Amino acid sequence: MSEAIEPVLEVADLRVRIGETDVVDGIDLAIAPGETLALVGESGCGKSLTALALIGLLPEAARRVGGEIRLSGERIDTMSERAMNRIRGGRIGMIFQEPVASLDPLMTVGGQIAEALALAGPVSPREARERAVAMLDHVGITKPELRVDQYPFELSGGMCQRVMIAMAMIRRPSLLVADEPTTALDVTIQAQILRLMADLRAETGAAVLLITHDMGVVAETAERIAVMYAGRVVETGRVADVFAAPRHPYTALLMRTIPRLVGARKVALPAIAGSVPDVAGWPRGCRFAPRCPLATDRCRAEAPPLDPVGAPGQRAACWHTDRVPEIAA
Amino acid sequence: MSPSPAGETPLVLVEDLEVHFPVRKGLFGRTTDVVRAVDGVSFTLGRGRTLALVGESGSGKSTTGYAVMGMERPTGGRVAIDGIDRATMTDAQAREATRRMQIVFQDPASALNPRMRVGDCIAEPLRIHGIGTRASRADRVAELLELVGLSPGAATRLPRDFSGGQRQRVVIARALALEPEVIVCDEAVSALDVSIQSQILNLLLALQERLGLAYLFISHDLSVVRHIADDIAVMQHGRIVEAGPVDTVFAAPSSPYTRALIDAVPRLERATRVG
Repeated sequence: MSEAIEPVLEVADLRVRIGETDVVDGIDLAIAPGETLALVGESGCGKSLTALALIGLLPEAARRVGGEIRLSGERIDTMSERAMNRIRGGRIGMIFQEPVASLDPLMTVGGQIAEALALAGPVSPREARERAVAMLDHVGITKPELRVDQYPFELSGGMCQRVMIAMAMIRRPSLLVADEPTTALDVTIQAQILRLMADLRAETGAAVLLITHDMGVVAETAERIAVMYAGRVVETGRVADVFAAPRHPYTALLMRTIPRLVGARKVALPAIAGSVPDVAGWPRGCRFAPRCPLATDRCRAEAPPLDPVGAPGQRAACWHTDRVPEIAA
Repeated sequence: MSPSPAGETPLVLVEDLEVHFPVRKGLFGRTTDVVRAVDGVSFTLGRGRTLALVGESGSGKSTTGYAVMGMERPTGGRVAIDGIDRATMTDAQAREATRRMQIVFQDPASALNPRMRVGDCIAEPLRIHGIGTRASRADRVAELLELVGLSPGAATRLPRDFSGGQRQRVVIARALALEPEVIVCDEAVSALDVSIQSQILNLLLALQERLGLAYLFISHDLSVVRHIADDIAVMQHGRIVEAGPVDTVFAAPSSPYTRALIDAVPRLERATRVG
């Protein structure tokens, strides 16, 4: 990301607490206009809570206890609920994993898009319908003038996700937050939806925060990546750089353990020992240390900072970044 | 499909399998239509082999697996286990088929009784089949836990004490209790995190090597399938559109649908093209 361009989203030291634990433990993020940042990690790492904290939709048990969030330079973390309501669906669009569950089953597709439009101010029913039809057409829904009057149950999962995207993009948000947008979809539909998102991003110049667990999706859609582990970002950088030469052991091992369409078959995959620690049992020091082949006493005692290493813009939170290439082979 | 020496009876034979579901509408539940979930599927699965059934949702791959397990009644064609037709099995033969074939589902949380200790859960199939004494079953549970990489101490704990990956190990231990020859894996690793997924794939490979298991591996994930399977059958709309050895099918798919599926898989290798 160039220093000269003001980021669309800038997050500093975000903290989300559940009970006594900071399950999001000091996250910094920045996304430039037209850029996609992939926030990746395994379940429980805090990636979805990070996204929900940004848009002010944390579940009841969780609360934001620190951090500054800026949208095009303007603090939004201090805004009133009413002001945030206007921003959601306006300057920030959102799409989630379960398109069918995210839509209102009792309202027509057109009605829901009209509702998204009306958040910006009054529109006539006729104009709302016309714009809904145009937007449905734009997101690749065939026979939009027919679909606009249908209910979500009449549409396939892929079509529902297109409707969600239409709702998220109709007001041309500057930031799109997409939480596992294609995880519930078949692979051929996933490819279509990812292409649609890329086209809309190119057209509108929106910044995209893509939450995913799928490194293949990251490779194909994002410029930059932030890898989360147990509430913290452990590595970040340009996707091409991080994938070519990861500098955090977790990233390096993850890349090796994923089955691919190339290479040896029916052999043991290089596995990461153990499992993601439970929030209650997060170790002090580096949280990956119990599973890390490079861990030393220092790792177990002291949490490493997310420091620059490797390619420009690349950072890793590890005391032994110099030894990571040994395990990245 | 699986290379079996001439004359050898395949462990699982599926021939022209049809599973059609009636669609009933109206006040009197008249059958107005049928959904051809499985519509003329044939394959064989040999001992110690892995056959992957792949396809998108609604392709009929899971229904095929259920018919093989005897959990779904075919409306046409046949399923034979070691040469014996499922439709004409005696009760004793059906029980024996049940013992020889087990199924592992996607979600280990819902496959385990939350109030039952892990050890009891693993021993349950033995108890139901009246195998062993309480003491010998406890020994067998310890053996099975070790086989799937869990400590014997796990037996006295509840499923909630375990992570998703560990629970799937428990489910696999339970499936192994009756020394089956075939395990139907229905999206068995799909819900797991990547670091856990590879552990379970490694476990499945190791168990196959050690116990000579055959897997009918039902999955939507082509990278996983390519890694674990010997043979692949690609399903679409209830039919097999392409089948063959994994290496052949991935290197040169003959069906445009298979080609489209493979092309749609997001690839790590493409990262270099980004940005």
